[in-house]
Amino acid sequence: MTNHDKLRDLLTDVLLLGDAEYRTDLTRREVDTWDSLAVVAIATGIEETFGYHMSEAEAMGIGGVADIIVLLEQRGIPFGD
Amino acid sequence: MRIVQAATQPPLATALAEAWMRDESFVLLPARTSLDPATVTSWLAGAPASWAEGHYVLLTSGSTGLPKLVVGARARTQALARALHVAQDLDEVAEAVVLLPLSYSYAFVNQFVWATIHGRRLVVTEGLGAPAEVLAALDGARDAMLCLVGSQVPLLRQHAGSRRFPGVTRLHFAGGRFPQEQLPYLRGLFPAARIYNNYGCAEALPRLTVRRADASDEGANVGAPLPGIELAAAPDGRLLFRSPFRAVGLVEDGVVRVLDDAEWLASGDLAEPVGDGSWRLLGRSGDVFKRFGEKVSLASLLAAVHAVWPGAAAFHLESAQGEPAHVLTLAPAPDPAALRDVLAALRRGFSRAQWPVRIEARATLPTLPNGKPDGRALADSPGAETLWRQRL
Repeated sequence: MTNHDKLRDLLTDVLLLGDAEYRTDLTRREVDTWDSLAVVAIATGIEETFGYHMSEAEAMGIGGVADIIVLLEQRGIPFGD
Repeated sequence: MRIVQAATQPPLATALAEAWMRDESFVLLPARTSLDPATVTSWLAGAPASWAEGHYVLLTSGSTGLPKLVVGARARTQALARALHVAQDLDEVAEAVVLLPLSYSYAFVNQFVWATIHGRRLVVTEGLGAPAEVLAALDGARDAMLCLVGSQVPLLRQHAGSRRFPGVTRLHFAGGRFPQEQLPYLRGLFPAARIYNNYGCAEALPRLTVRRADASDEGANVGAPLPGIELAAAPDGRLLFRSPFRAVGLVEDGVVRVLDDAEWLASGDLAEPVGDGSWRLLGRSGDVFKRFGEKVSLASLLAAVHAVWPGAAAFHLESAQGEPAHVLTLAPAPDPAALRDVLAALRRGFSRAQWPVRIEARATLPTLPNGKPDGRALADSPGAETLWRQRL
C-alpha cells in the first residue's frame, strides 16, 4: 500500500468520505465533517499511520489534503509513488 | 410469599396459573437471576401485611442496573388486561404465542394475564434460542397474538426468512425501540396481523400507551395513553405518569417503598407531547447526554443506523478523555459496503461529537432474558471486532 493509499484510507475514515469524494486537492472548507475534532483525529491518525507527531500549530494550519502531503514530505515521508 | 421460578417449577405456565388462582401473593422469578429466592424473601420481610394476598411480585432492573422488585395488585393488572383487550380489539384472538420469558412484565401482563382472564390458550415456547420450536408454533398459530421486542426481529428474520405466518393476527412490540423500518418485512411475515407499538415500563406494570403501527411513520411515536392513564413531561424532559394499573410498591436492596397513587412516577424515558394526544420518545433518561458540549441521543443515532442497516445494533457507554462516549455494536458483522452506509448515515445526520467513538461487530448481540441488548455484556465480554474508530 502506498503512502497515498494510506492517507486516503485515513481521511475517508476520519471524515466519513465516500470513495468518490476523496481528492488530493480536497480542502477543509469543502468537507462539512472536517471540524476541530476531525483535526485532532487526523493528527492522531497521522502519528499512528506515518509515525509523525504533528504540532498543534501544524495540525491547525492544515487547509486540505495537499497541505498534509507537503508537510509529511518535508518530514521525509515520500508521496512520489 | 410463594416463589414461582422457571428453573425449579417447570412448566412455568402451569405453576404460574396455579399461583394466579390462589389468594396468596407470589413472586415470579426468571430462570436465571442474580437475586436468589432467600434474598427475595428477606427483602419482602418488611412489606405491608396488605401485600400478603392478592398481589404479585416481579423482578426487574432498576436505574442502576441492580435488581428491583416491583409489586403489583392482581385486581389492577386484571383491569389493565381488560383495557388492553378493548384497546387492541382482541375479541377474535384465540391464543397467545409466547416468545419472551413470562417473568418479563410485558409477556406476563399482555399475554399470561390477558389469556388467563379471557380464557384464551397460551402457547409457551423457549424463545428464539429454540428456533425450530418457535417456527412450529407460528406455523400452527390460529388467530394468535404474538408479543416481541424489536431486538428479536433480526433473529426472527434469520430463522424465518421469507416464510409467512398468516395465523398470527395481532403482533405487538414493546420493551424498547419500535422497529419502524422493519414493518414491510413484518407485514410480509405476518400478512394477517395488526401491528401495535406498546409503550410502558416495569413500574407501570407495564402498559402506558398503545398505537397501531400504521398510525404513525415515526418509530419514536408511542401513541396516546390508555384510558385512565395520565402522562406529563417534567421540566427536564423526563416522562412522568400516573396510572390506576401501576405498581403499588417497589423493593430495592431490602428497602420497601409503598407508592402513593397521587405521585407522578418517571418512566425512565425522555419524551414530548406531539400535539394530537400522542407522545414522542426522545431517548432513555441515561441515553441522552452531552459530549464535547453537544447533545447526544442514542435513540436518534440508533434510528439513523437502523434506516440503513437491517441487522441488529446497540450502543453501550464508556468514558474517553473524561467525556462520556458511546460504542456502536453491529451484528452480524457488516460487509465493507454496509459499513460505509452506516458511516454515511452518521455523517448525514450528526456532528462528529455525536458519532460513536467506535463501531464494533459481533456474530450476535448478547441479550438479557427479556430479549433486550445486554449493555454490560457488550462492554465486558470479549469477541468484538473493531471496524471503525474515531481516533480521538
